[in-house]
Amino acid sequence: MTTPFLHINGIRKTFGDVVATDHVELKIAEGEFMTFLGPSGSGKSTTLYILAGFQEPTAGDILLRGKTLLKTPSHKRNIGMVFQRYTLFPHLSVGENVAFPLRVRRTPADEVQRRVKRALELARLQGFEDRMPANMSGGQQQRVALARALVYDPPVLLMDEPLSALDKKLREEIQHEIRRIHQETGVTILYVTHDQEEALRLSDRIAVFNKGRIEQVGTGPQLYNSPASHFVADFVGDSAFLTAEFTRASGGTADLRFADGTEVRGVPLHGADPKGRAELMLRPERIRLVPQPGAGPSLPVTIADITFLGNVTSILARTSWGEEVGIRLPFGHPMASGLAPGAQTQIEWDAASAHAFAARAH
Amino acid sequence: MLLNFHMLGWWRWALGAVCALVAAFLLLPILFIIALSFGDSRWLIFPPPGWTLKWYEELFSDPRWLDAAFTSFKVAAVVAVLSVILGFLASMALVRGTFRGRAFLRGFFLMPMVMPVVVLAIALYATFLWLGIAGTFVGFVLAHLVIALPFAIIAISGALEGFDKSIEDAAILCGASPWEARLRVTLPSIKHGLFSAAIFSFLISWDEVVLAIFMASPRLQTLPIKVWGTLRQDLSPVIAAASTLLIALTVALMVLAAFTRKGKKQ
Amino acid sequence: MAAIAARRGFGFALPALALLVAFFVMPVMWLLLRSVTEPGLGFQNYATLFGTATYAKVFLNTFMVAGIVTVITLLLAFPVAWALVILPPRWSMVLFAIVILSMWTNLLARTYAWMVLLQRTGLVNQILMGLGITDAPLELVNNLIGVTIGMVYIMLPFMILPIYGVIRQIDASVLQAASLCGATRWQALWRVLLPLCVPGIASGVLMVFVMALGYYVTPSLLGGTSHMMLAELIAQLVQSLVNWGLGGAAAFVLLVATLALYALQIRLVGLPKGAQ
Repeated sequence: MTTPFLHINGIRKTFGDVVATDHVELKIAEGEFMTFLGPSGSGKSTTLYILAGFQEPTAGDILLRGKTLLKTPSHKRNIGMVFQRYTLFPHLSVGENVAFPLRVRRTPADEVQRRVKRALELARLQGFEDRMPANMSGGQQQRVALARALVYDPPVLLMDEPLSALDKKLREEIQHEIRRIHQETGVTILYVTHDQEEALRLSDRIAVFNKGRIEQVGTGPQLYNSPASHFVADFVGDSAFLTAEFTRASGGTADLRFADGTEVRGVPLHGADPKGRAELMLRPERIRLVPQPGAGPSLPVTIADITFLGNVTSILARTSWGEEVGIRLPFGHPMASGLAPGAQTQIEWDAASAHAFAARAH
Repeated sequence: MLLNFHMLGWWRWALGAVCALVAAFLLLPILFIIALSFGDSRWLIFPPPGWTLKWYEELFSDPRWLDAAFTSFKVAAVVAVLSVILGFLASMALVRGTFRGRAFLRGFFLMPMVMPVVVLAIALYATFLWLGIAGTFVGFVLAHLVIALPFAIIAISGALEGFDKSIEDAAILCGASPWEARLRVTLPSIKHGLFSAAIFSFLISWDEVVLAIFMASPRLQTLPIKVWGTLRQDLSPVIAAASTLLIALTVALMVLAAFTRKGKKQ
Repeated sequence: MAAIAARRGFGFALPALALLVAFFVMPVMWLLLRSVTEPGLGFQNYATLFGTATYAKVFLNTFMVAGIVTVITLLLAFPVAWALVILPPRWSMVLFAIVILSMWTNLLARTYAWMVLLQRTGLVNQILMGLGITDAPLELVNNLIGVTIGMVYIMLPFMILPIYGVIRQIDASVLQAASLCGATRWQALWRVLLPLCVPGIASGVLMVFVMALGYYVTPSLLGGTSHMMLAELIAQLVQSLVNWGLGGAAAFVLLVATLALYALQIRLVGLPKGAQ
């Protein structure tokens, strides 16, 4: 087996009785853009801080090209990092901020000049050398932080929710820049965010964190199309969950029976040993509205509400036992025409687009 | 309504009058001494019959006044430096530390501020007599340092609280060792706090009189002691001249402090 | 490892801690120890202090002067603090500068000014006589009047600033609401503004009272021998009479009174914020 570029090997971190991360195991290839996605307190930032050396793991190891990083203090790890908050040195100009890592490495002056120039070009900051951080917008400051983190060619770049303080438009613009910089430099990036859209837009692979553990690792489409758990299904993309009963479960598929007696067969199944109560996950854009049951699995519903949202129409349907399902149709879709709240109809979906999970204990 | 000046009606005038009186009460004595220091009446008649600089000449030709001023300056300068260093380290512990009892420690550090000075004065006097440093340069510095330190800690820990620890972390990840990061990034970023700590510590030492009264020896006198001693004999206009110079220095330092504060905001 | 992390940063505090233990805690402790060991072991110094009429009078006088000074200071400071918040910015800046300047002007210089102003031939007497209020010059120094004027002068900024800090944070709309509810200006002042100022007033009153209790310079320059205050007594016991036992006992009484009042303040309004 070849040595992985970066190996997060069974990291566990506890603060007193609180377990922040538990057996986090991840192998990252050189040049990969890996995102840690999860709600706050899920352990993704703790894992990043352990990589940066600001926290020591209670157990486990971090291996870069097969060598442990844990014995190296932060300032000798040669890792780049962009923080959530603006961390430019307030007393130094943009040029001096970017030069700082080179100056503490005692790099010769002409080399400093050359590399600072290159880093500023990379971040599209030519002409900003003499500005002071206080006179820059948040987006510009994070670009400078990016240039500063890349100027010494670190093998790994850590980014801890670097865009969370920016507004939506600026965020998308800088996401675009980050992608470009990743492509141009080929640096390995570990990116922390709680924004699934940001994760899907940027990453090669995503590790979904929940309660200190990694629930699933995969590409965006993998996570979306075959979520490994209820949590992943819920966190990545919109979804509706309907309660049901397992009538059969084996070989990766299951049969379910709803409260009104409707049965569906051959639903893709995740998780081990499902018995008793089940949850069926449906994606709102994969659901069709049909007047009569067709070939695919279906369920009778009553339309509860119809909302116009510009390019899509959002429809809320209610099952006979009172659970709600959201459906999204492109604006003007024929299936939505003539529908009004109170109408009786059927929802239908492809067997492969739904997922069954064992119901979580509440 | 009561917090909108223009809606106060005739109360405006009452409030304005009280403020004018209090402002006059606060300001006039200071202006009065300045005027007297240039007046030519030995008996401090006001308004003075004529104007003169002779009290300043007397002040500057008396080596005892000059020695006292020089001593005060040396003590205050050393106190300012030491108080900033100790204050910075203590603030690092209070703001960045993760140990238990930080709130208690902060309270302890600020204790000399609430202590009646006269109690501290006689306590230190006894200790310094025993150590043989009463009335020495070291004695003055130590005594003044004790009462200046709380002010330095307030100023510096305030600045440090406003400085994001992540910036220091960023410097460390950039390759700076922890001490290098503190010296090259943290210190320059909180320089307004260090500067006002230095100014306040200097002023506290420079103006301090009670601790010095108990310790002063004939050999080594600070300026406030010299003023105190002269005051108890007579109300010579030379004191007005000395006071005017003290006021000028205070104003200069306060303006300097105000400017650093303004610099911080930009 | 958690235990090590929990104690991180304490080392930075050591230099300051060492200074204060060596030159603050231990000297004060030693002084207190001397009050119960000199001339002999026991509490006879405290018995003397509380049992002698002269000393009892000093205590009474100290509390009386501190009380009078605090009340006058409060009456003058409240309108000023209020005005600082609501005056047009230019005027409030000027007023603020005057308060700060007076606070940081050398104590002796300010006391000297009042010694000159209040003497028999001083400006205050000249004006009083010129206005025909009195025929003969009044005795304004070396008595209670001199001490009160001088101390009020010194203490004003320490009362103004905490009250100002509280009023500044009051939302003006609260008073607009009071007015809409039908409150007259007097009612709004008494029932809304003043109650909201209580934390600032409490903090200012306690600070001024406590400072006045232990004040040394102004009373000894502007006051007379007939109205000696506690700080002067302590100084005299130690300097002139070299009676460390009795002086230490008096210092301890002052210290206990001070700390008790501060403890009361912390109980009532929480820890005071930094003066700057």
